Amino acid sequence: MCFKNLPIEFDEQGNARLKEGAPNPWSYEVAELQPIAAPGGEEKLQRLLERNGHVRQVDFDPVTRVAGALAFHTVVDLDERRVLETDSMATLFRGYELILKGRDPRDAIFISSRACGVCGGVHSTTSALALEMAFGIHPPPMGVVARNLLLSLEYLYDHPLHLFLLAGPDYSEPAVRATNPELWSQAERWTCPGKEVHGYGTIAEVMTDMTPLTGTLYAEALHMTRVAREAYVLIGGKYPHPQTVVPGGISATVDLSDLNEIHLRIVKFFNYGRKVVALYDDLVQFFYEANPQYRQVGSRPKNLIETGQWDDPFAYDGTFKNVDEWARHRWAPPGVIIDGELVSGRMTQLNLGLEEFVEHSFYEEWTTGGDGARFAADPLGNPLSPYHPWNKETLPKPQATSWKEKYSWATAPRWDRRAMETGPYSRLWAAALAEDYSQGRFIHPTGGSLVLEVPDAGPSEWSVPEDWGAFERNRGRAYGILYSALIAYDNLLIGLDLMRKGETAVSTAYKVPKDFRVGAGFWGAGRGYLTHHAVMDAGVLENYQILTPSTWMASPKDPWGNPGPYEEAVHATPLLENYEKPEDFKGIDILRAIRSFDPCMPCTTHIHTGAGTLTREVVTCACGADDDHDHH
Amino acid sequence: MRVLVGGVGYRFLRDESVGPWAAERLEPRANGDVEVEDLGYHPVGFVHNLQERDPYDRLVLVGAVRRGRPAGTVSVYRWDGVLPDADEVQARVGEAVTGVISLDNLLIVSAALGELPADVRVVEIEPGPEGWGEEFSATVRARLDDVLEAAWSLTQP
Repeated sequence: MCFKNLPIEFDEQGNARLKEGAPNPWSYEVAELQPIAAPGGEEKLQRLLERNGHVRQVDFDPVTRVAGALAFHTVVDLDERRVLETDSMATLFRGYELILKGRDPRDAIFISSRACGVCGGVHSTTSALALEMAFGIHPPPMGVVARNLLLSLEYLYDHPLHLFLLAGPDYSEPAVRATNPELWSQAERWTCPGKEVHGYGTIAEVMTDMTPLTGTLYAEALHMTRVAREAYVLIGGKYPHPQTVVPGGISATVDLSDLNEIHLRIVKFFNYGRKVVALYDDLVQFFYEANPQYRQVGSRPKNLIETGQWDDPFAYDGTFKNVDEWARHRWAPPGVIIDGELVSGRMTQLNLGLEEFVEHSFYEEWTTGGDGARFAADPLGNPLSPYHPWNKETLPKPQATSWKEKYSWATAPRWDRRAMETGPYSRLWAAALAEDYSQGRFIHPTGGSLVLEVPDAGPSEWSVPEDWGAFERNRGRAYGILYSALIAYDNLLIGLDLMRKGETAVSTAYKVPKDFRVGAGFWGAGRGYLTHHAVMDAGVLENYQILTPSTWMASPKDPWGNPGPYEEAVHATPLLENYEKPEDFKGIDILRAIRSFDPCMPCTTHIHTGAGTLTREVVTCACGADDDHDHH
Repeated sequence: MRVLVGGVGYRFLRDESVGPWAAERLEPRANGDVEVEDLGYHPVGFVHNLQERDPYDRLVLVGAVRRGRPAGTVSVYRWDGVLPDADEVQARVGEAVTGVISLDNLLIVSAALGELPADVRVVEIEPGPEGWGEEFSATVRARLDDVLEAAWSLTQP
């Protein structure tokens, strides 16, 4: 029984049904928030501030450096070295759901791709998957292989970029010297266990080479992103926003020369991946040994959601009817992990558990207290929440920010009404715990770890972490490089075999159906879970809902007052930074916590079209309404 | 003289989309000496692309830049190549790789990570109110021909 909170139970055959007896099974009570910094709470905050000069409001704006797309509000007690309150605020609205209404469904592939400048190709493929389900088509095996290669190559671009250009600088020599100088002297003496693999004698040398702009690890990561992009465009045509992803496969021809070119680039990531894994293993170990409290930086419950990705070319048929079967054959199988344990590996259950809430988001609720859902059930007859993406309507309602009421353009996605996170590590985690993993040429789950068999180099093993926090997210992302490279290599070998057999077709013919259809694309982005839910009729889109990883993780509080993952993680973060005076406080631990999720807020939030155009000032002005705070 | 003309900006963002629009309009004028390209992608990718090409003698960038001037103001200048401090450059790199497309970012990141031509010219226009759509504001629309001609004039020695 995977659901604890939803009104869904299963019969003896495993079929889902609504629990009996509840007059309005989906209804819920909304808890009133009592934020310190809200109107009414200001008095409390003021008292705290007057009584304790060490209590401060700190706004990190923007955390992602993406044009203010994510702002993070916190109240910290510098004396107690803890975070009192957190609010994650997505400050942009882009409205792709509105843009896509009434359009030819094929437009969704190209338009939704623009929802994010970091996730350059995954929206295109997710959209193609949703349309394939709606159209009743699927690609020939080589088309699936080509898409799998594109996905791996995108991750081989994305992960080094995050590890060394975005999160990495927080662990570089300048950052460590500025925030915890006592660590620097330890770092100079700390001998790296992974020297044989990465070549660095001390962790201080690693930190020096992680220095932005001048560090060799920084420069090397920049170079490796180029290698991945070179391979990507051989099939995708361009990156970001590939031109060759279509329903039913891809529109480019893939020949032996392309595969050889890609091969040459993929194998470079074997050694690079092993090096990055060894570097991050050492970096994590150093911080944990220097101060065990670093295990709590960015910690939150081990609740993760993974849609699964990289389809088996011979299993994928695109249907919702068979989704549990074809999805379990993926290189990364779907999985819902609660308290570290796999509670479901079935895509239908993952889909059933999805809901989005807007009590603290700048949207209007689209149901009438849980009534009026368009779809009472999914295409297989399983009961569907009115708050499920297939039922969701995007109704923007801009207003002043209120920490008590509404404060974000991100919705609050929940699975079984719980906040979930996702990322490269959710792929590893779901695969490690999978009971019937079927892609075992180079990847071997053990039930508690994932053994990655690198050709000519031996195994690397990622273990399910004992403590879950910022450092483990970064470590997981490092292993994600090897994982992605091995999946790419596996698909390359399958592609070469198909080519030998003359099975070179990469797409299937189709016509856009004119009758009523629904579809869903379950795929992934560099930072995890990605779904598109489509409803179409008369040959155009009636509804199109995009749910991104950053929406899950930047989520504001839900109707029950439970925080989103960023908020949880920052709230649990001890302030380990070395500061004597409040004005010296830089918030490095909070930034490490948030950046470990690899936030990319352009994914989460969307710009409005047409009437009622919104501007960033709507929320940034309100954000600045707090009187006593610092901006970083 | 080998020249690259690049339009910088997002699509579907009204006045903010002058850059890619200009690239489309100027592309038919491209010839053996002058290349025209939509540079509405992140600057690290642009650096990678520059590294693979023969060097240009001049780079001409066109785009909308919000600097608080009256909407429709067109500025034409030669970039001085002065970079901000390392923290600021890193901040711009972070923006660049996470999807921000801006003319200033393109200049700073490309110069910091790669090697721009010594001669970089810029044609920028102050956009009107932010909004989504394919239509320009009347104020900016009235200056579009000036933007195109200014950019093209800079392709001459």
